[in-house]
Amino acid sequence: MIKDLLRVSHASKHFGGNVAVHDVSFAVDEKEIVGLIGPNGAGKTTLFNCMTGFFPVTLGEVIFDTKKINDLRPDEVCRLGMARTWQRVKPLGSLSVLENVMVGAFSVTNKPRQAEVIAMEELTKVGLTDYASKSAGSLPIGLKKKLELARVLATHPKLLLLDEICGGLNHTETDTILDIIRTIRQRGATIVFIEHDMKAVTSICDRIVVLNSGEKLAEGTPEEITNNPDVIAAYLGGGHHA
Amino acid sequence: MKQIALVTILAAAAIALPLIIGENPYMTGILISVLMMAALSSAWNILGGYAGQYSFGHAAYFGAGAYTTLILLTNYSTLNPLICMAAGIIVASLIALITGTIVFRLRGHYFGLASIAVAEIVRLSVLNFEFTGGAQGILLSDISLWGLDLNSKNPFYYGMLLVLAVTLGITAYLRTSKTGYYLMAIREDQDAASSLGINLSFYKNKSLVISAALTSVLGSLYGLYIRFIDTSAVLDLRLSIEIILTAIIGGVGTLWGPVVGALLLVPLAEMLRSNLLGDALVKAGLVSDTSAFGIFLKENLAHAHVLVYGIITVLCILYLPKGVLGLFRRTK
Ligand SMILES: Nc1ncnc2c1ncn2[C@@H]1O[C@H](COP(=O)(O)OP(=O)(O)OP(=O)(O)O)[C@@H](O)[C@H]1O
Ligand SMILES: [Mg+2]
Repeated sequence: MIKDLLRVSHASKHFGGNVAVHDVSFAVDEKEIVGLIGPNGAGKTTLFNCMTGFFPVTLGEVIFDTKKINDLRPDEVCRLGMARTWQRVKPLGSLSVLENVMVGAFSVTNKPRQAEVIAMEELTKVGLTDYASKSAGSLPIGLKKKLELARVLATHPKLLLLDEICGGLNHTETDTILDIIRTIRQRGATIVFIEHDMKAVTSICDRIVVLNSGEKLAEGTPEEITNNPDVIAAYLGGGHHA
Repeated sequence: MKQIALVTILAAAAIALPLIIGENPYMTGILISVLMMAALSSAWNILGGYAGQYSFGHAAYFGAGAYTTLILLTNYSTLNPLICMAAGIIVASLIALITGTIVFRLRGHYFGLASIAVAEIVRLSVLNFEFTGGAQGILLSDISLWGLDLNSKNPFYYGMLLVLAVTLGITAYLRTSKTGYYLMAIREDQDAASSLGINLSFYKNKSLVISAALTSVLGSLYGLYIRFIDTSAVLDLRLSIEIILTAIIGGVGTLWGPVVGALLLVPLAEMLRSNLLGDALVKAGLVSDTSAFGIFLKENLAHAHVLVYGIITVLCILYLPKGVLGLFRRTK
């Protein structure tokens, strides 16, 4: 096991006067699943955006695989092996489901044939093979979330960042996605998992980091977090979707 | 298989066409215009249709090819025209790379605006420099290549056909290659594309340079064909607009859309220009020859083809958003 596949230290992100993330530090070891939770607007997505090069951190450092990646572009971060899904899904609407996943696969191969093989593998993992030739824009939301997952898996990431991959899904759909995540973890995936559904988070994560108003409120095992009075006050007791 | 057969038949027909119509400079001239607009629009389509980056200034690359070729040939008459063409590609690619490197860093619709600005800068520079012939333009007296009879239009017909075939070949290849998928991903969603490992500015620049280089070859060929160029002939905004409208009407982002667009629009423009349409309306008794409206039509329809393109485009966007080709394509 590699210590610290990802290390975020003292990261802050300011939007003008608005401090979206303030002095957040945490690390992810290889083969770990870390939950990132917090109320709406806590800065979770912003943290992902900073880690993947969509906007640079205002202060602090992001280190991935022993390399400082603060100033890399999103595509460079992806090719280094850290890839993310989008909370608001971003299908390549007029392309087919298969082609969407092939686009991901092209970051590990230049050959269309090879990309198609990889794409079919990933579609099989998420159970979308029947929809391969459908246009991505026409899928219902549950399947679009699965497509997000297949597409990012096709880039063969070392570290997978999932931003509310179960958001907006019903129980059965959520369970299917969680099962898929359990399968990929058995193959040795490392994952950071943003999620509001506490049952999903506690059932799947080794460790949980809690954000509140841009700051890290707590960090620990699922039991520690569910019993932490600060967390209960700020988040679980706050009437939020728990 | 059916596709290959169809393309073979089309190619054979296109090759045989000049032999069928015989020595008819007027008809051959129109056919050359059709081929040229089809190729120009196809070249634009690689950037605009596949990568989704709308250039409103492709005349700059066309003009770069035409001017570079004719300036070189008027100064060094023994140069091989193909070498001049290659020089045109270099000039056009440089303009493209400079524009792209500056503008593709920015998000949003800056490229569209910048493409107009660059085309205007090129046009005004050419108009004001001495070596470009300024407002007078450039006249090319004599050229020769491989002993071809370049006073006949047929060599240019085949030249345009060849460039069209190459452009369509490149487009067809791109569509099934990594680059093509990346361009389409960029068109669909730039954030998604870059999160999947696509270097946005590299691939936008790549498609811009391919598109600009092909456009400049067509400019060179046109310059050799017409042998007199000035800014209004090869650097005008109107040309840039015609190229886009042809693609939109035929079907943006499809292999054959630009060809269909050119087949429909160039003959229509010709009919307007030679007032065939106005005459037809009069003959059909729809408009009286002597009425104010009839006279208005006669005087103005000839200059109105861009306006007519515009109206057709608006109708297309409203009723045929996928272009004429979209009519024949079932959606999945
Ligand atoms: N591009 C931006 N420009 C300005 N402010 C932003 C931007 N992105 C996020 N913010 C602000 O940063 C704060 C954190 O937002 P963020 O989207 O990271 O929250 P989140 O934890 O992902 O919430 P949710 O659970 O609703 O997805 C919010 O106040 C938001 O308004
Ligand atoms: Mg969020």
